[in-house]
This record gives sequence, C-alpha cells and structure tokens, in this order.
Amino acid sequence: MSSHREAPEISKDPVADSSDLYAFISHDEPDSVTIIANYVPLQIPASGPNFFEFGDDVLYEIHIDTNGDARPDITYQFRFRTELRNNRTFLYNTGQIESLDSENWNRRQFYSVTRLDSRGKRTELAGRLQCPPCNVGTISIPDYAGLAEDAVHKLKSGEKVFAGQRADAFFVDLGSIFDLGTLRPFQNKHLVGQKLFNFAGKAVNATDRTNVHSIALQIPLHMVRRGGRNRVGVKDAGAVIGVWTSASRRQVEVRGKKGDGDVVVGPQVQVSRLGNPLFNEVIVPMAEKDKWNSLPPSEDKRFAEFVANPELAALLPVLYPGLFDNLAALNKTRQPRADLLAILLTGIPDGVIDGFQNSAGRVQADMLRLNTAVPPAAHENAFGVVGGDIAGFPNGRRIADDVVSISLRAIAGATVPLVDPRFKPDAAATAVEQGLSIKNVSAKLLGKFPFLPTPFDGLNNPS
Amino acid sequence: MSSIGNPAPDGGASWLSRRRLLALAATGAGVSVVSVTGLSLASESSGDDDGAPLVISLRDVRNGTIDVFSGESVRTITDKKLVDSLLRAAGR
Repeated sequence: MSSHREAPEISKDPVADSSDLYAFISHDEPDSVTIIANYVPLQIPASGPNFFEFGDDVLYEIHIDTNGDARPDITYQFRFRTELRNNRTFLYNTGQIESLDSENWNRRQFYSVTRLDSRGKRTELAGRLQCPPCNVGTISIPDYAGLAEDAVHKLKSGEKVFAGQRADAFFVDLGSIFDLGTLRPFQNKHLVGQKLFNFAGKAVNATDRTNVHSIALQIPLHMVRRGGRNRVGVKDAGAVIGVWTSASRRQVEVRGKKGDGDVVVGPQVQVSRLGNPLFNEVIVPMAEKDKWNSLPPSEDKRFAEFVANPELAALLPVLYPGLFDNLAALNKTRQPRADLLAILLTGIPDGVIDGFQNSAGRVQADMLRLNTAVPPAAHENAFGVVGGDIAGFPNGRRIADDVVSISLRAIAGATVPLVDPRFKPDAAATAVEQGLSIKNVSAKLLGKFPFLPTPFDGLNNPS
Repeated sequence: MSSIGNPAPDGGASWLSRRRLLALAATGAGVSVVSVTGLSLASESSGDDDGAPLVISLRDVRNGTIDVFSGESVRTITDKKLVDSLLRAAGR
C-alpha cells in the first residue's frame, strides 16, 4: 500500500503506523498549505464495542523543513488523551450522539497541539481539543458530517486543525500487486498471468470501505516559508518545503500488576515515518525497513543505493516479457537512476521541467517536497507532474493523485528522459497503470478542510 | 559515582535516592524485572518531579553501565557499587 503496514515491526503496531501523507494547496484556501497525516490504517467500520482511536502513548508529529537541510524547522506535535464518562458500561455510546458534548458519548478523545521551532522551543497552541467520535452507525450518529465539522478547530495562532476518523481515500490494487507484481489490466501479459488469463482484468481497490485516523493541518503559507514571506516565485528556493510525519513511543514501558497502571518513561523513540508514498514500502529492502522507520530523513543517504537501482525496475522486464526492453537495457548499464534520486531524495531542480522546480538543497532525504508558489490546478490530472500537472505528485501530493501508477511509470523509465534525453522509454512505461482512480473510493472527498471523506459507518459497512 | 552520560544534576547517588525506584536488572541481552513499586504514568516533562517513577536498566554488568530513565530523558552512568546491589537484589 502507500505505507500501510509497510514494515515488519510497525505492521504489528497499527496505532502508530502512518499510512499516507498529503501536502497540497487547495482551491478554497490558496494562501494556505494543507497537510494530512493518516494513522491507524485498515479500520473495519463495524468495530464495536472498542472503536478505533489514536494512541494516548504515542507522540504524533508533522515536520516541515523550510531550508532544504532535511531537518525540521517547524514541528507540530499531537498528544492524545482518552476520557471515559461512564465506567459502569461496556458501551462506546449509551444513546444517540448529536453533539460533541453529548452525555451519551462515553469514550471521548482530546488532544493538545504543540509547535516546535528549529531550536526546539515549544509553544503549546492548544491544550484540549476534541476529536469527533468514530462513525458508529447512522442510528447512533444521525448527522456524522455535521458532528465532524464541529471538530474542525481554528487556532489563535492561525492554523486550522482536525484529528479524527476519516474514510481512507487511498486506492490500490493490493491483492494483485503483491501477487507477483500483477497489474490486472495487464494480467494477460504477465509472465505467469499469460498462462492463466487471455483477457485484461479489472482492478480492485483493496482499501475501499476502510477508515483511518487523520491528523489534518491547514497552515497559512507565510508561516511555513523561509523568511515568513507571503509571496514567492516558483523558482525561488524559499518556495519549497519538505514535509514528513513520524510517530514515536517512549523507550521504556513496564506493565503494571494487579490493576496498577503501567510505567511509560524515557525518551521518545521513533517507530514510524512517512514522506513520499511507497518509499519504505517498495524501495527499501525488508531487512532495512524497521531501521528506516527509526531514522530521520537527514540519514537517508544510506538508502540512496536502493533508489539509484530499484529492485522493481529489475523485476518489470522479467515479469512482463518483451514490454520493458529499453528498461532492461538501461538496467544493464547499472547507471544510477538520477531521475529517481531527484524525484525522491533531492527534489527536481530548476531547468528540468519548464516553469517548475521543487528542490531546496542537495541533502538526500525522503521528504514530500512542495513548491508552495505553484497554484492549484484548474483541472487536476491524477498523474501529477508525469501527466503535465505540476500541482500534483511529486510536487507535494493531493488526495486524488494516483501515486501507485505515477511511481510505476517513473520506475519503469518514463522519467529517465528528464535527465537523459537520449533514452527512449518503453511504450509500456508511459501506459502502465494500476487501473484505479479516486472514483474507486466509495466515499466522496469533501470540498473543504479536512477534505478526506466522512468515514464509512459501522451499520452499513461491511454490507 | 562517575558519569559517562549526562551528569546527575546534583551529584549522583542523592539524585537517584530521591526518586522511587523501578529497577530493571540485566546481564547481557536479556532484561528481567526485579522489583516494581509505585507504578504510574511518568510525567511527560523531565522536570524534577520527586514522585515520578524512574526505571533503571543495567546494560553492562562488567563495566557497571546503567541507563537511568526518568521523565522523557535517559542518562547513562557507571556505578559498580550500585550494580552489585542490584545483582544481589535480583538474587544473582
């Protein structure tokens, strides 16, 4: 998936597992950047009596690098606290929940927001903000959308924030991709699939009708740009920000006996990280994934070799015989893939794509880089920069961007001409796709913050 | 007591004795709990909260290296005398 359960250890710790990260400029607030970090992936909506929630023992963070050194200049920290109204019931709610202060809502979650500057100076922006409930069902919560809207908080410092359950809008045909790299629309051309199928298949969105827990921030652009500038040009290095999210746990936990509380103590230790989608998932070898999750982006040069010669690029010509001959020839040269190194680790420099750059430095680091001077596209192309739409991935990431197909095309060689005009990509490299779009998500995106759809409700999902 | 990590704020043993003590004693890679008292959630801050629990991890018996976890911090000290006491408490 994007980063759902992408590493062995974090796959066993869903509360701290970051699954998607988005950073984009929206039409309704073009002077702000929206950043959304999703956690607790693959939630089945019907999950009573213990509905999903953030971890009270997890430190969630969103980091922003404003000067290209791959170190955070701004960090937003989110700490959660769960409270019970009634300790004599097993129920999440004892009647309808019609407001955030409903007496019927038993298990509520609150959170604080703290901002750190580049020197580590802390400013608590809010101490007790409320999350919306999980979408139990239409009988328990007749107006979920309205309730969730009440959980959008405007901070005095200028940011807008939301933390709570949302529908997962990521789309991927997970079942086929990890069944020996099959893409159902091309299954009859697959090394093994061509013996099984004589027709193109229809992709299946494996994450449809599941929920996540989202932390969404909308920040005025002058607050994230170097020097606090309101206006910058696309070519200005100060227009580019690097974004990543992380989750950390305290280093020591001693389980209590006989009902005593646990002891949780020691420094925070990072257990999950996410910048570009799919980086840890399909670039980093399994043996290194847990280590990658524990490190900051400033250490990513040690993983650059896996970007320079990605395993998937070597597999494609084998899995789809005859379709990726030019890629196979390129692989044989063992030349480092400068296109992928730029896209994923340093950003695309000025002069490669007309009117665009999202490079802010030479430090190799996996961050979602967004040129904040690029306005939202009038007509979005789900293939982003590869599709000629510079407001989309890998210039930040919008919710509807088909990051799986974009990454497939890039790895297949479609972006090599950016750095080597002599290279002719295979026809398949510019045509390959997973066969899904945002239309394969059975919930509609919102037109305003926090943009991700209303979570699927437990009464009707699964159905 | 000598310190190889961040120094104790006021000189070692007294700093340790002011706090309730949770001791984890270890030899080699294995870790075992030898005594647990006063379990509660440690403070988020690493301030001088005398009531907050503290966890000791005996990392290297031969060198007397101990990690002391308190609040959101860890300090590494060497104290062979304390190591001997912990090993006796653990029945080793």
